[in-house]
Order: sequence, then C-alpha cells, then structure tokens
Amino acid sequence: MNAFAIGPGRAREKAGARGPSRFEAAVGSTPSGNGAAAEGPALETRNMNIRYGEHLAVRDLSIAFQRRKVTAIIGPSGCGKSTALRAFNRMNELIPGASTDGEVLFHGVNVYDRDVDPVELRRRVGMVFQKPNPFSKSIRENIAWGARINGYKGDFDELVENTLKQVALWDEVKDKLKQSAYALSGGQQQRLCIARAVALQPEILLMDEPTSALDPMSTAKIESLLDELKRRYTIIIVTHNMQQAGRVSDRTAFMLNGDLVEYDDTKTMFFNPKDERTENYISGRFG
Amino acid sequence: MTTRIQFNEELNRLHHDIMAMGARVEEDLRKALEALRTGDTGLAKEVKAGDEVVNAMQVKIEDQAAMLIATQQPVARDLRELVTVFKMTDNLERIGDHAVHLAKAARRLADDPYPRPLDRLQRMASTGCEMLHQAVTAFLARDEAMARAAAARDDEIDAEHKAFIDEVLAYLAANPGKAQQATRLIATSSFLERIGDHVTNVCEAVVFMATGVHVELNE
Repeated sequence: MNAFAIGPGRAREKAGARGPSRFEAAVGSTPSGNGAAAEGPALETRNMNIRYGEHLAVRDLSIAFQRRKVTAIIGPSGCGKSTALRAFNRMNELIPGASTDGEVLFHGVNVYDRDVDPVELRRRVGMVFQKPNPFSKSIRENIAWGARINGYKGDFDELVENTLKQVALWDEVKDKLKQSAYALSGGQQQRLCIARAVALQPEILLMDEPTSALDPMSTAKIESLLDELKRRYTIIIVTHNMQQAGRVSDRTAFMLNGDLVEYDDTKTMFFNPKDERTENYISGRFG
Repeated sequence: MTTRIQFNEELNRLHHDIMAMGARVEEDLRKALEALRTGDTGLAKEVKAGDEVVNAMQVKIEDQAAMLIATQQPVARDLRELVTVFKMTDNLERIGDHAVHLAKAARRLADDPYPRPLDRLQRMASTGCEMLHQAVTAFLARDEAMARAAAARDDEIDAEHKAFIDEVLAYLAANPGKAQQATRLIATSSFLERIGDHVTNVCEAVVFMATGVHVELNE
C-alpha cells in the first residue's frame, strides 16, 4: 500500500488545483505509478533541445529509458549529459537563462506542459547530486521531512526504518537517528540523500555523478545499492567514471558536443561499440 | 591530442612479442618438417629446445597482457585485442607442442623408414606454416579477411590428412607386420591436422578481435 496521500500536493493545493494531477490521471490510482504492469519506457525525450542563452547545450535529443534498468549517460565535460539529466525533472528551470523545447514524456505526459506541477514531478522523478547535500537536520528528519511535506500519512518510524534499510544505512545509523546528518561520513551522507529521494517513493532516480566525491569503498557501497534499487526504480546516472558505467548500468548513452552519439546495451557499448567516437572515448583516446 | 601513449606503447610491445612467438613456432615447425624430410635427429633436439623458449614467451606475453588489463582497464577493441592475445598464445603454444611431437616422430621414422614418399605430410606441414604466418600477420594487421583466408586453407590440410590415412591403411593391409610404423605415421599426420585446427582457432580469435563477433570457421 502506498501511504502517500499524493494528490494535489502542496504546490497544487496552493495553486488551488482540483482533481487528479496529470500524472495521476495518466497512471490511474497507483500514486507511485511503479506497478509491475507498467509498460513502455519509464521516461522518453523527443527532439529535446536545451539552451543556455544562445548556447545550444543539448541538440535534438530523442532517447527512451527502460523501466527498472540503470542507464548511464557518459561523455566528456560539457557534452550536455548533466544538462539533459536535469531537464528530465525540470531542474534546469532553476538555472537562469536555461530554456528547453521538445518533449520529455513521463506517463505519456510532457513534463513541460503548463499544468504539470514541477514539485510533484520531482517527487516522482527524484534527483541525487554529486556532493552529498543532507538537510541541516537529524538523520531521521532528512527522511521524514520531505515525505511529510509531500503529504505522507503513514507511520514515520516505519518509513524511516524501511527507507534506511533500502539504502543499507539502517544498521549504521539506527542508534543515532536524532543526531545531525552532518555527523555522518561522506559516503553515509550520500546514501542518506538517496534514502531521502527514495522515501518519496519515486519512480525514477536521477543521479548526477553520485560517487565522484566519495572514496572507493563508499563508491562500491553506492554501486551495490544501485543494483538493489533498480528492482524498484528506474535509475539514470550521469558519470565520468567509465568503469563505473560499465559496472552498474544495463544501458549506456554516449553524448558528445550536445549530441547523443550512441545508445545501446552497456555490454555492447563497452565491448563492441558501433561508432568510432564512442570507441575512442571509452578507450580513453580523447575526452 | 594523442592520449594513452603508454598503453599504446605497451600494446605495440605485445604485438612485437606475439610476432616473435609466432615466428619462433613457425621456425620450429619448419625444422620438424625438415627432420621429417631428412631424418636429421639433431633437428629434433633443436625443436625441443625451441619449444621451451616458446613456453617462456607464452608466460611473458600473458603476464604482460594481464598486467595491462589490471592497470589500464581496456575496453572495446583494446579489450578484445588483449583477450585475443591469450587465445593466440594458447594456440601458438599448442602448435609448438605439435612441432615437438612431429620432430620426435621424425626421429622414430628415421629408424624405420616408410618406403613411400612423405609428400602429403610435407604438404600438410608446409600449408600449416603458411597458414600460421598468415594468421599472425592478420592479427598484427587486425585484418579479418586475411584471417578468414588463412583459416580456409585448413580444408587443404584436412583433405591431405584423410588421403594419407587411406594410403597408410592400404599400406598396412599389404604389410601387416608394419602396424607400429603405420600407427606412428597416422599419429604424425594427426599432429599436422591438429596444427591446422589451432591456426583456425587463432583466425577465429582475430575475426573476433576485428569485429566483436564470435565465428566458427571451417565447421
């Protein structure tokens, strides 16, 4: 059972919205929309262009992300991969001068439609950033707070425990839930941030270089976690670490200068890519 | 900008070593062939000594390749190339072993000469040498077509092998007291036939390296 009373959500309530949101209407009665019966891609872009002012950062991107798979987006700095990632839940809107056209389809709804609530979108399509950014609150509140403001009506102790167990952090923090999240190590903080996103019962987790600030052991824990999390969530991860993309992802997309060059099963991309530019990049011959 | 200079240099060094190993095996095979032709038992000892060098080369090359995998994390074509290196050395080493077997058989046959010409065995050995040379060249040139062409010649060896066995069986029927000699002759022909199979394995590995696709050549 989903204990979220997600419906309008605060933003929609404030805006005086009535009735089901676009996503609820599209998904039906399953608030998380993450049911096994769901078919088709978890998220799809069609002819998406993203500009920063005059600069075209992502050009004509059409890509479909498979449900409950880990998809890695790789490419050299400035290729547009993080920009594309942020467009999937409209985080780019928070950047002055950024504009997006084309479509980002989630449950068949273009997330850029005017009546789509970005707050609800970001609950359903969560994001984990490069550097751990826990709230200046207790470990428990880092999990509970977001759920509370998103209308969670269930048992918060249960939510905190279950969520921390999902990210393999429970055993390490169960006796210090009231301590500040800042007391945790970097790797633990990042797992807490993943837990914070997971607590909102998203369908998709966007991860922007989630381990680049972590040591190898913490990185290994997050990578193991991804393998567990993909049973429930669709994961799209941007990474500079080629070996990480090879280890954790089912599908890999290679971007270069704003273009999607190649997109295929990870094993094909790393063993027998079709495009010479992919071959050269993953072999470390440029970038 | 050229990157991965060290890795490229190490790959080049591996290429050189594979070429040297291939040349050494080819040389041993030619010596065994000569021993078979002339009955020169001294050559058989040289082939045995050569095989020890080949075995040492295999260990060195495989250690280098493993080190590159561990330290350079190759992917795509680079990784396929290193995987192919292991297949190459494994098969080259086996060909080296067969050259030794061939040289030993030549020594025994010298003690009890076969009264007919050994043309078929000579042709098999000669074709095997040419195939081997071509297969190693195909690896160095990453040339799929050349690898396929080299492997195709295995049919020539197989045909000679079959014809030679028929010939020896006919000889044995006419000379029932020559069973041991006939067995040695058939074993010798089988070593040469196996050399063709090992070169075919090398060729399959080269096609895989070049294309990423596993193939069965000469099924």
